[in-house]
Amino acid sequence: MAMEIRLPVARQRLPESLDRDTQKHLVVPGDTITTDTGFMRGHGTYMGDEKLIASVAGSVERVNKLICVKALKTRYNGEVGDIVVGRITEVQQKRWKVETNSRLDSVLLLSSMNLPGGELRRRSAEDELAMRDFLREGDLISAEVQAVFSDGAVSLHTRSLKYGKLGQGVLVQVSPSLVKRQKTHFHDLPCGASVILGNNGFIWIYPTPEQREEEAGGFIANLEPVPLSDREVISRLRNCIVSLVAQKMMLFDTSLLYCYEASLSHQIKDILKPEIMEEIVMETRQRLLEQEG
Amino acid sequence: MKETPLSNCERRFLLRAIEEKKRLDGRQTYDYRNIKISFGTDYGCCIVELGKTRVLGQVSCELVSPKLNRATEGILFFNLELSQMAAPAFEPGRQSDLLVKLNRLLERCLRNSKCIDTESLCVVAGEKVWQIRVDLHLLNHDGNIIDAASIAAIVALCHFRRPDVSVQGDEITLYALEERDPVPLSIHHMPICISFAFFQQGTYLLVDPNEREERVMDGLLVIAMNKHREICTIQSSGGIMLLQDQVLRCSKIAGVKVAEITELILKALENDKRVRKEGGKFGFAESIANQRITAFKMEKAPVDTSDVEEKAEEIIAEADPPSEAVSKPVLWTPGTAQIGEGIESSWGDLEEEEEEEEGGSDEVTILDSVKMETEDPSAGNHISDDAPIVLSDSEEDEIIILEPGENPKKTRTQANSKPEKVSSKKAVRKKKKKKPAN
Repeated sequence: MAMEIRLPVARQRLPESLDRDTQKHLVVPGDTITTDTGFMRGHGTYMGDEKLIASVAGSVERVNKLICVKALKTRYNGEVGDIVVGRITEVQQKRWKVETNSRLDSVLLLSSMNLPGGELRRRSAEDELAMRDFLREGDLISAEVQAVFSDGAVSLHTRSLKYGKLGQGVLVQVSPSLVKRQKTHFHDLPCGASVILGNNGFIWIYPTPEQREEEAGGFIANLEPVPLSDREVISRLRNCIVSLVAQKMMLFDTSLLYCYEASLSHQIKDILKPEIMEEIVMETRQRLLEQEG
Repeated sequence: MKETPLSNCERRFLLRAIEEKKRLDGRQTYDYRNIKISFGTDYGCCIVELGKTRVLGQVSCELVSPKLNRATEGILFFNLELSQMAAPAFEPGRQSDLLVKLNRLLERCLRNSKCIDTESLCVVAGEKVWQIRVDLHLLNHDGNIIDAASIAAIVALCHFRRPDVSVQGDEITLYALEERDPVPLSIHHMPICISFAFFQQGTYLLVDPNEREERVMDGLLVIAMNKHREICTIQSSGGIMLLQDQVLRCSKIAGVKVAEITELILKALENDKRVRKEGGKFGFAESIANQRITAFKMEKAPVDTSDVEEKAEEIIAEADPPSEAVSKPVLWTPGTAQIGEGIESSWGDLEEEEEEEEGGSDEVTILDSVKMETEDPSAGNHISDDAPIVLSDSEEDEIIILEPGENPKKTRTQANSKPEKVSSKKAVRKKKKKKPAN
């Protein structure tokens, strides 16, 4: 049995050539952003002593006259149209409470859920009693944000066949600020797995289904055993995500793919080692820069 | 902060492990975690650690008028608080159910069992009695709060010394700590709570559940017993239905456990008394070691090494002998360099700072080269004992490379530890700087 012993090593600084061209203005809570009073204050800032002060730790973003601070590690703030992956925590009278890594539990109303078979009718008392058959505590779902209440709580809906209960796969929880906003968050990666990049920081990796089942409507969980090759791809993807997050890189399908390809030369379990993590992410960063420029 | 819900697979994993009689921390079904008792400088202050669950207990006393219907008895007051640092779920407004349950159980265990002689706390009947107050604070929640709290309470009470009083007629003289030695409380017996967690409707049982096991348990049975095998309190919660023989079996196990824990408590109290008498240092500063965040320290885990020899012999017998053609490390004496084959030059990427940074990554390179050899499937023993090939700078020697295929791979692995992609030429240059002694 081989035993591996590793010693702590100081982390190496990034070489200047690979740093981003625009210098980010990083602040911590209490830092003065500007003393110019002409700016409107956005999220993450407040006015104090005639100056604009940051209230969260992150980077300052400026759009014309609006200054806001985008926090690095935050709870998910819902916006209409976001895709989220959440876990059911409670089954209540006509709705489910879903945990989405936000300040308040999100709400999934019974009327916002598709009935099996795609029927359109008013939800009856039997539907209410059968709620637990659809979704129970602990289930994972993918949904879209329908509305945001005034207190910040988010209302979800699964009114499309691509949303619904999630079957076999791996969940990775990251900070919501690391998930890049894109047109679509459901990706079928060419390496053999599919991924849902939830805006709330919950990332779901699952084996690509062979054919799309139109009638199921996302409630029948596919419980067939997943072959080993698929499992390996999924584990590798999961480790890649963890290494990207450790290096604070934005997560989107291209970065994930490049990271996966860069990691192919290592064993899956080696990807989690700090020095290999740095190397893989460095390569990913390089490829992304080449692709842009 | 609301508790993060437990995922389905974790729940299933824990239950399946319990069905196979396995616990996550390697304990057996009836094993307790390590109990550590430390005392503070004041009498009556102690910290009890049951694994990672920590409870701080403090006893204090005050002279008050007694209750009207109990004029000759002292007053006992118990209070358990769940501090916010114990778990993220504990917030000032939110803990009521659990808090009430724990407090009631503790009171029943200590007050109703009459472990403390309240008559001895009376100073002047009907006028002045001692009020003993036990404050318990949960500092860290890793399961089984009630056991840790009961141990802390009884240890603090045993450790506590109240000031001496003397009554002369109508005068009560309260002596300060310097004038007369304080007096210990009169304790008849030491009731200790033992928790049993039940899973799968009473089929499986675990003693001293930790936090994960508590989350997936069906019900809990708490038995408070003293070392004379007298049951002081028994409580079953969670709505599971227990059979008579299950309860009897639990009480037998509790008897054994209580005996062990009582012995531990008495030993700890003895130690503390001895240290104080001898004039040594006592208190939390001595007993609780400095825990540095930057130090890597793991608790010692007992490892069963009884069958290590057999297993080692098996492995050696079955393993293939190390192959002859294991890669030999190629070393350069100072002043030599090697030009690789077939890799394009990138002289233009020359940068000065990179070479200076190499000094710190010696260890990393060594590890990488060791790892590369580990990954050789044929190797039984990882580091080859063959003499390294030394390339000298003498121009007369013909430089013989025994395994030409190995070298480019080797340079690349060595280069892998550097952050950027390096051509072999550059790598070689750096190697020259780094291995002067080889």
